[in-house]
Amino acid sequence: MAKMNKKWVVLCSTAIAAVYSATYFSTEAQASSAQAAVTSSPTVSVQSTNHYAKKHITTNPNQSGSHNSTGSNNATSASNNGSSQSGQSSTQSNNNSQSSSQSSSSSQSKSQQTATQSKYKDGTYTGTGMNRRGMMQVVVTIKNDKITNVQFGNFEMHYPEGYVSNLPNEVLQNQSAQVQNVSGATYSTMAFEQAVQDALGQAQNS
Amino acid sequence: MRLAQLFMDTVVDIQVVEHVQMKKEDVEARIEAAFNAFRQVEDACSRFSPDSELMQATQKINEPVPISPYLFEPLRFALEMAKMTDGLFDPTIGKTLENYGFNKHYLTKEVTETTSDDTASYQDIVIDDVAKTLLIKKRMVIDLGAVAKGFAIDLAANELKGFEGFLINAGGDIYAGGFDYNGEKWKIGIQHPQCKDKVIDVVEVSNQSVCTSGSYERRSEKAEDVHHIINPMTKDSPNNWVSVSIIAPFAMMADSFSTVVFLSGDEDGKEIIEEVGIEGILINSELNIIKVGGD
Repeated sequence: MAKMNKKWVVLCSTAIAAVYSATYFSTEAQASSAQAAVTSSPTVSVQSTNHYAKKHITTNPNQSGSHNSTGSNNATSASNNGSSQSGQSSTQSNNNSQSSSQSSSSSQSKSQQTATQSKYKDGTYTGTGMNRRGMMQVVVTIKNDKITNVQFGNFEMHYPEGYVSNLPNEVLQNQSAQVQNVSGATYSTMAFEQAVQDALGQAQNS
Repeated sequence: MRLAQLFMDTVVDIQVVEHVQMKKEDVEARIEAAFNAFRQVEDACSRFSPDSELMQATQKINEPVPISPYLFEPLRFALEMAKMTDGLFDPTIGKTLENYGFNKHYLTKEVTETTSDDTASYQDIVIDDVAKTLLIKKRMVIDLGAVAKGFAIDLAANELKGFEGFLINAGGDIYAGGFDYNGEKWKIGIQHPQCKDKVIDVVEVSNQSVCTSGSYERRSEKAEDVHHIINPMTKDSPNNWVSVSIIAPFAMMADSFSTVVFLSGDEDGKEIIEEVGIEGILINSELNIIKVGGD
């Protein structure tokens, strides 16, 4: 029924609009340097919403379910932590424990930076991993023992000539017959994990 | 131009069909804005980062916490889904996912272990649409895996709508805007569930999202028959469908409905697709392809 469809479509459009209307109330635009170059973009930058929670007025925390905006200090300080770290970084910067072995941590407490000496040398490292489509490269930036940026290598470089010529004919044929864009179940990122671990391995302080 | 970055444990691959006159830096800036949408949604919705807005907002019970639209909107959508399916789709599935080993941050390998009330359900989540707050009545782990990526894709698509054509592919969940480099509708292959390098069907779309839920990629390390889509009542993974692809005007719709249909029985799944007025390509365990909806 058309009516039911409309409900979901409306929910989706208002969801997108909600993100943009929030940015109009932001006092600071924490734009990345790339953003500054865009003058003709028809849409508003979304980065400034890191400050959204800062705008909340903290009132009586005992009120619940009412129209009054009830601020919780926990939520506000969390966003502050998020935005005080590099505005350009992806979530990785929020994770302080960089050990390659698994450390179990309760989500109740924030992860603590317990290392007294740095585990990784600051810098940018290129790691390589393999998957069924070939070789993958990632470029990992580390600062203060945190991953501040992870970039995928240029896609055009994905199959460097030397590598392609070594692939068995069958695989090459499949590639050319392949439809370029494929929708499938979320593709596990083992190759990228490998590549990131490879980069981290290079960064380790001996 | 085509660029890729890593977010939400997925490669996010963006291609744009740009005008020859456009400056390279301007194109890059727009694409960067699109990537940033993924960053924002991940920071808000991740259940693997203790610092995410979601994890911070669910530390205390019975306390309304103001949250940003990056968290509020996908959560609201997930709750509507839960109501429509009477809890078959339930974002409080997070603890069960943790128990089955889906608990490591994809980059840092940090393991999340949360105390949670086993009786918690979506009905214990209260959101206030005016105050934009979240309140949980019991300890719980909220998993927004079925909506957050779709939402990020929709926000990213919004950044790119000035281009004649663009394609966002976030690990197999796709939004195709406008037309491709040849001025034609984008051709999207549906991955063959077993032969990973082959496609089982091709659809042509413009200004639509194609999202696929499948059992064949992310499987539990702890239980043989379990993958990452779990029925909250039985705590088991359904095994009638191996792949469900949904075509819808928004990725958040396609993403979440592909999960809902995957969780549904044969007839219920088809019914939902028809009622909502979207399109589906369903593949069952015998590898029969069933197409529902559309012209």
